[in-house]
Amino acid sequence: MHYIWKEWKENIRGKGLWLSLSIIVLVSISVLIRSSALSFDKGFYVLLINLFDTIIYFIPILCLFIGAFSIFQEKEQKTLIMLITKKEKYSSFLFKKSLALYSVVLGPILIWFFFYQILLKFKFSIDVKGYFIFVFAILCLALVFLQMGSAIGSISRSRMQIVGASIFVWFYFFFLHDFILLSYLPNVTFEKVKLFSMGYFLNPLEAIRMYLETGMGVYSFGHMSRMLEAFMWTKPSIFLFGNLFFWLLVSFLLAIIFNRKEAFE
Amino acid sequence: MKKLTLFLFIFSLFLILNPEKKMAAESLQARIDSMKEGATLKLENKTYVGNIVIHKPITIIGSKDTVIKGDGTGNVISVKASHVKLSHLTVIHGSMDMNSSEEYAGIKIYTNNNVVEHVSVRDSFHGIYLSQSHHNIIRNNTIKGWGKNIIAEQGDGLQIWYSNDNLLINNTIDGTRDGIFFIYANNNQIYGNNISDTRYGLHYMYSDNNVFERNTFTMNAGGAAIMNSNHIKLKNNQFIFNYGNQSFGVLLLQANDNHIENNTFYMNQRGIYLDEATRNTFSKNKIIQNQIGVELWGSCNQQTFTLNHISENTLPVVTLGGTGHGNSFSKNGKGNDWGISFPLTDLDQNGIGDSSITYRSSLHQLLEDQELTTFFLKSPAINIYEMVNAFLNHDDVMFKDPYPLVTGKGSHTTIYLLMGLGILLVLILIKGRHRLCITFGRNGRKI
Repeated sequence: MHYIWKEWKENIRGKGLWLSLSIIVLVSISVLIRSSALSFDKGFYVLLINLFDTIIYFIPILCLFIGAFSIFQEKEQKTLIMLITKKEKYSSFLFKKSLALYSVVLGPILIWFFFYQILLKFKFSIDVKGYFIFVFAILCLALVFLQMGSAIGSISRSRMQIVGASIFVWFYFFFLHDFILLSYLPNVTFEKVKLFSMGYFLNPLEAIRMYLETGMGVYSFGHMSRMLEAFMWTKPSIFLFGNLFFWLLVSFLLAIIFNRKEAFE
Repeated sequence: MKKLTLFLFIFSLFLILNPEKKMAAESLQARIDSMKEGATLKLENKTYVGNIVIHKPITIIGSKDTVIKGDGTGNVISVKASHVKLSHLTVIHGSMDMNSSEEYAGIKIYTNNNVVEHVSVRDSFHGIYLSQSHHNIIRNNTIKGWGKNIIAEQGDGLQIWYSNDNLLINNTIDGTRDGIFFIYANNNQIYGNNISDTRYGLHYMYSDNNVFERNTFTMNAGGAAIMNSNHIKLKNNQFIFNYGNQSFGVLLLQANDNHIENNTFYMNQRGIYLDEATRNTFSKNKIIQNQIGVELWGSCNQQTFTLNHISENTLPVVTLGGTGHGNSFSKNGKGNDWGISFPLTDLDQNGIGDSSITYRSSLHQLLEDQELTTFFLKSPAINIYEMVNAFLNHDDVMFKDPYPLVTGKGSHTTIYLLMGLGILLVLILIKGRHRLCITFGRNGRKI
């Protein structure tokens, strides 16, 4: 609880959280305005998919920066040394710090999308389950990139390293990961498709998108070939939770193993 | 006397155990049978038990809560006389049996010149079925199915079988197998229907000379699948969000001489999907934000695209399986508006670009060879893949538009805005690194 309170106070004083939130709010409002001509019944789904496709450019990089700089700040201000006492290891510090980060970042996002739903009610017929899935997808997106950011913050020794690493991670998941898979695509056979599928859904952006689109019922998987069935060998929600588990664990372990307690600059 | 008492006792017991069903069914059918030709029957706000068969030209008008409930063994209402009018009814519980000699429906019409309006049908195999039935009007009805994932176990919203010259107007169909299924049905007019969450919103076989206007096809596995049919007009329809691994706005398969004009194709997996189609004309359509704007298979010949607005699609046009003959992206010196993806100059200000557009892509081979490619169509990595393959000369020409239309001023504003944002980003990265660090770290305080 102390960590949450501390994180909250630090973020209120800082600009990063407010900048991130204001971007999310502005993007959501602008997508709502652009979608005002859509039909009452189905416009809701079109809007949410468009919003997700737009917001996906911002949330990962912002969460990477928030997570990384939040950890780095502890090093910079020497509070990390104070917090890690004989009783507290780096792993327990990181765990508590991560929980604090989640609550401070995810809380306001959750509150905003609660208000956003009220705005949507004036324009569209709301599918509550679909909206819940959308919000959950956004929270998962923020969660996984916050944890990756925490790992970057733990490993980095300077702000320059943080900026570079964050942009690289964002670039990797946005472009490189799928580009590598696209290059392998002609060689994917029925025997290898399951492995390829795991590679595809290792990208959080793809796993979350698939969960969102199938969960809301907008993406149909009718008349699937054997190849497609083999590719979608489990439910999209399982792919999502597997992806979350993998990246949270990897980020956490990397942060613990390679953490550097000192900071330069 | 004892026998009479026993008979009365058993009869009363039967009525007590199953009173409404037997009496109501008998009474509704009996009332219909006893009516004179041309008479009107007004039903109350209650549930009547079917099934009923109409053998004479009459009008049945229900109220807000009038329900005709079938017994689940056949059609709830069978119309076997001409000039019957049914309105303001809710029809439920038809047979779902697929092993019977005929396919059943909520309302099945076998005759001509009938009107069905303001009727709601659910819990039936087909909604309304026109069987060798001509000159009918089907309007303002609502048909609800079990959802688009149930394909084999349910029928279509409207099934039009060997039926010509019908008017289908302002019907709402949701969650049935296909929205409207036409087979051997010609010269029908279909206006203002709203079809969603079906397999194919419109499924069309061996039917010619039909007109579709102002219909909306949303969230179906396929918007309109037009197969083996000719001389169809699709005007002012909306194909929105038909979005799945095999989805499309319109599919033309072995369909010739069709006119697709002024329609909107928005956010579909494929906007227009053409295979073995000939001499179709696409004009003034808006093909926007689809993953593939137009998918054109090599078996297609003499397609004409003119005055369309084709923009913001991941791939505007993709040609698969070779290049067809005589496909043209302009007509009479007028091409298409390709949006901001293809910046153009128009120094003589005649609305036509000063140079032609040639679009090249490398993805066609992947799309042909590997069906999993569709999973990457929303990925930003597609652009990098295209750039790398263009650099390596692995791309091919997808289309040439010799007379592209020049976009309006709005698109230039977007270009300038994007350029401004790009410059700002570069400046931040070069000069504003410390500012970025201050924003996210140090509690917002300057160092």
